[in-house]
Amino acid sequence: MKKMLVLISLPVILLLALAACGGGGSSDDGFDTGRVIAVFTREDGSGTRDAFVSITGVGDNMYAEAVVENSTAGIRTNVVNNPYAIGYVSVGSLNDTVKALSVNGVFPSDENIRNGTYGLRRPFTIVYNADTAGHELAQDFIAFMLSAEGQDVAATGWTRINVNAPAYTTRGLTGTLRVGGSTSVEPLMQRMKEAYEAHNPGVTIEISGGGSGTGINEATSGVIDIGMSSRALRDTEKAALTDLDIALDGVAVIVNPDNPLTDITLDQIKAIFTGDVTRWSGLN
Amino acid sequence: MFIKTLISKEHFMRGIFFTAALVSIFAVALICVFLFAQGIPAIGRIGIMDFLLGQRWAPTAAEPAFGILPMILGSLYVTAGAIILGVPIGIFTAVFMARMCPNRLYRLIKPAINLMAGIPSVIYGFFGMVVLVPVIFDVFGRRFGMMSGQTMLAASILLGIMILPTVISIAETNIRAVPQELYEGAVALGASHERAVFKVVLPAARSGVMAAVVLGVGRAIGETMAVRMVAGNQAVLRMPHEFFKGVRTLTTNIIMEMGYVEHGSIHFGALIATGVVLFVFILIINTLFSILNARGGIK
Repeated sequence: MKKMLVLISLPVILLLALAACGGGGSSDDGFDTGRVIAVFTREDGSGTRDAFVSITGVGDNMYAEAVVENSTAGIRTNVVNNPYAIGYVSVGSLNDTVKALSVNGVFPSDENIRNGTYGLRRPFTIVYNADTAGHELAQDFIAFMLSAEGQDVAATGWTRINVNAPAYTTRGLTGTLRVGGSTSVEPLMQRMKEAYEAHNPGVTIEISGGGSGTGINEATSGVIDIGMSSRALRDTEKAALTDLDIALDGVAVIVNPDNPLTDITLDQIKAIFTGDVTRWSGLN
Repeated sequence: MFIKTLISKEHFMRGIFFTAALVSIFAVALICVFLFAQGIPAIGRIGIMDFLLGQRWAPTAAEPAFGILPMILGSLYVTAGAIILGVPIGIFTAVFMARMCPNRLYRLIKPAINLMAGIPSVIYGFFGMVVLVPVIFDVFGRRFGMMSGQTMLAASILLGIMILPTVISIAETNIRAVPQELYEGAVALGASHERAVFKVVLPAARSGVMAAVVLGVGRAIGETMAVRMVAGNQAVLRMPHEFFKGVRTLTTNIIMEMGYVEHGSIHFGALIATGVVLFVFILIINTLFSILNARGGIK
């Protein structure tokens, strides 16, 4: 009996000790600028990362200590959970749980992204091979994405590539299209699909993810009809493919809502993401 | 007549079983061929020394580098951490369950451990990401100037938990397999229950328990999803004492970059080659397990 009592009380004591430990460590109210900047970045090869490092000038010198995540959601979750975090995501994936910073005083609004005053932007691209170029349904869907209706869809979270696009008239086509690739473009493609299927009830569009590399590869081989890419095509890939931009996307620099910072300069971004500045107090 | 049909039926069924066995062997062979056919040329292009001992991983840089030493060490570190944290708990639990557990409690613990084995690794990863990582950051973050709770420590703790069901069930089976006479003999010579269990029964089950540990190592080194979510994934060479910093393992290196890689490129080949290295690791572990298992036969 006594043995059992000891057995049961042991884990309880252990737990209490741990809890006490936890209480002692976190006695901070407010934002401590002396803390280390928690830098979150995307993995090598990601379209978002490609755009981010080339525009900010970070280039190949990404801070080696930066935590690497391979999805937009991963970056966002970490920035939500860590008050000292900084990261970057597609503007289309922003929500209230994180705070987007103005860059050089310019907020990543739809207007600023379209006219280019917000410099951190990139095109969302679709790619297709010669077979798809002659595919009636695929061409109709592409025409839809570039039409006024399609660009209205692009404006529901991203930015239009063309403000004076022609109207779309349905030709009543039927059939199935397979689209796949970049996970950054995927949410936009999902809405494009819904809008297009509303115009053309006989059409089914199947969307798969997998990343820009997968999309480009499968569009080349014809496994899918249209590939989605959020990075520029490499020269070796251009040979067999046609590429078209369907929308613009800003790359937003995000911090935790508890962070008092609202504005950051491109130089500061570069300093943080190359590891030159490692504490929040070092920014000023 | 009756005998004849029986024999032919037997032959027929044996054929079916043989085919079934062939399928799994064929699958393994196919994976081997695929891995080595794609991986070996890439290792050749990178250079085996630059690949295995290179300290820099920068696959998309202007001057790309494909060194996976940080990942090899990362895999070893988190596996070692998992063994240090998980094995003592696992073995003690196994001893408790086999030799000390009241029947009613056993009926509660056994299904719980079976359930643990069935939880998908992404759930463990999610638990690690929303519970373990923030707790580690809250407790140690300020003191050690940490960037995030995503660390070698977090991965080790999580893997330590994840290998428990493997270690416990195999160790328990092997402890139970020790002949009861050994225990009775020890008690008859005046040993207490605990002394008999720890000094006689457990040592007798030594190779079986080692086999449990080795299988735990295999589980830890091959885990991908959960580790990716808590390890930080920096491809930086770490020393063992830097457990408050993030690491990238062999498995996570592959999963992190597979989605965006240009197929057929040297980067793609390097990721497959990372798989080859992992495959060799697992091969060594499995061989070790077979040897231990062969020795572990009841004497």
